[in-house]
Amino acid sequence: MPTPLLELRNLSIAFDTERGQIRPVQGVSLSIFPGQTLAVVGESGCGKSVTALSILRLIPGPPGRVLGGEVLFEGRDLLALSEKQMRAVRGKDIAMIFQEPMTSLNPVFTVGEQIVEAVQLHQNVGTREAYQIAEQAMHDVGIADPAKRVHEYPHRLSGGMRQRVMIAMALSCQPKLLIADEPTTALDVTIQAQILELLRKLQEERGMAVMLITHDLGVVAENADAVAVMYASKIVEYAAVNDLFDSPKHPYTEGLFRAIPRLGRAGGRLQAIAGTVPNPRRFPAGCKFHPRCPRMSGDALCAQKEPELREIAPGHWAACHHIENFGQKPITPPTSDAIRAKAEART
Amino acid sequence: MTAALDSPTGILRDAPPTSIGRQALGQLVGKRISLASLIVVSFYVLVGLLSFTPFVKDRIDQSYSLDNAYAPPALRQTLADGSKTISPAVWFGLDFEGRSVFWRAAYGTRMALLIMVCTCAISISIGAVLGLIAGYFGGWVDDLITWLYSTVSSIPWLLLVIALAYVIQNIQMVNARPAPSWIAEFFGGSTTVILALGLTDWVGLCRLIRGEVIKLRDLDFIVACRAMGLSEGRILLRHILPNTMHIILITFSLSSVAYVQVETVLAFLGLGITSKPSWGRMIDDSKLELLRGVWWELAAATVAILVLSLALNILGDALRDALDPKLHGVK
Repeated sequence: MPTPLLELRNLSIAFDTERGQIRPVQGVSLSIFPGQTLAVVGESGCGKSVTALSILRLIPGPPGRVLGGEVLFEGRDLLALSEKQMRAVRGKDIAMIFQEPMTSLNPVFTVGEQIVEAVQLHQNVGTREAYQIAEQAMHDVGIADPAKRVHEYPHRLSGGMRQRVMIAMALSCQPKLLIADEPTTALDVTIQAQILELLRKLQEERGMAVMLITHDLGVVAENADAVAVMYASKIVEYAAVNDLFDSPKHPYTEGLFRAIPRLGRAGGRLQAIAGTVPNPRRFPAGCKFHPRCPRMSGDALCAQKEPELREIAPGHWAACHHIENFGQKPITPPTSDAIRAKAEART
Repeated sequence: MTAALDSPTGILRDAPPTSIGRQALGQLVGKRISLASLIVVSFYVLVGLLSFTPFVKDRIDQSYSLDNAYAPPALRQTLADGSKTISPAVWFGLDFEGRSVFWRAAYGTRMALLIMVCTCAISISIGAVLGLIAGYFGGWVDDLITWLYSTVSSIPWLLLVIALAYVIQNIQMVNARPAPSWIAEFFGGSTTVILALGLTDWVGLCRLIRGEVIKLRDLDFIVACRAMGLSEGRILLRHILPNTMHIILITFSLSSVAYVQVETVLAFLGLGITSKPSWGRMIDDSKLELLRGVWWELAAATVAILVLSLALNILGDALRDALDPKLHGVK
């Protein structure tokens, strides 16, 4: 068993706001092994980005703070490092790319200047050499004519080009882990495919680990080795990608798969998961998914006790009280009336 | 074939990119009105710099008239032996002591430049530093700075300037050790005006920069900078400050003109520059002489201020457009 490159242990984050405390990350544990891609999947607001930012300790605080847990990178707890030590980790060991390539580059500097700044921050090289590294990095991410593009301002590049520049900048210091926070969400479908292909190629060449944050299960299937599904601040299912796609154990994951359109399967409406994502200020008691859950039983267990993440099969964890029953009774998504009735019963 | 790609602004879309300064200069020179204002401002700077030479300084207090009387603008000067010679000294006429309005106006340019540059250096440094800190760090630092500038801005500006000018004059008078003579010579008695204006007029810029920084600090590229491992100070100076440069430039072009105008007001109130000629002092000197039909001293100073104000306003505007890389290549 290899040791993980990055390991989150029971990480909890809180935001203290004027209208009470929000806990966007609650007891999240996961590990990423060298060279592996871990996908973190979930709806908007489920805590995936906050988890990623907290690895680099970039949660704005106040209001944000770490309630507890550990972030172990190569055995070191990042949460215990000084700010100066942390700066040496950022960019050098762990790099990050963001969702919005349009605003991720400083508009008043050329892309070359920005890559060179990143290079010179972590490597002791002269300006001329740094520019060579920058050009090489831009060449590696598939930008044609890097010697000229290096002097361009960001506004003269397209979204896909800018995301390539971001990747070039992130990879210029040979990080061991790349955190990609929805790297393709803001791009066209064709560009998405190119960027994902590029990420996979670079990952293979360099043996780098990737934490891929996305809400697109297609992206997960193509790129990931392991998947963590997040719902309402918690990981609800965690498995190798094949296990998850072959037999999803959690009803939320099930629902996500049913909501994907498939080519070649004509007719009928897609099944949405009924109800809406709960407000983080008022999470439901018990299992946070139970008001929307098709497996919700009458025995009140779901509404009272929050299920723990359990190992269902080797390497396959899920947090649900009713995994054993799954497959034995037909799943019928509750109607909106049923959800309203449940909601009223709770209040 | 590449000529066909020539963009309307004269920058080739696919030409090898040049430095931002060179591109900006190209854009300034490309437009007729900004080129004109650039030439006018350069002319003022040239005149002002020439006035630092003894050549001009020797001529500001010299009498050019035989009877010390007013003389209207003329091309040629009458000498003691009755002969006439072409002399710039009489081109703008002579004042009540027979001194040359031309040379005094030239010296006034030097004073104006000194006031503009030094006052802006003070007010922009204070405003920019406080604005950056307040906007970036937020929290109690922001509260403190906001409180400070709200307090300063609640006092009418001119009153504050006048009060501060009195205080500074007093300090200078009671100070046992006067400033070295070369400093006194260099500033020509303008230190009171510079300090009084510079220390009071930073509120507007501070407020603007604070707002801009609050907008910038949560943008993705700043988060990306942090994720890259840059220190807070470096992010502030290398990434946020350059993004507020357009505000600083506009403020420079607009408020430097205002400082020259307020100098006139202070001179009128007897708080301006007293030892050496300035435009404000010329206007103040000439206010009583208008009754006698002596208009040229007032006209020289007023036109000098007017043309400089206009040119700087246009230049500031053009500079902002030229320095903003987001507008490059856009017609």
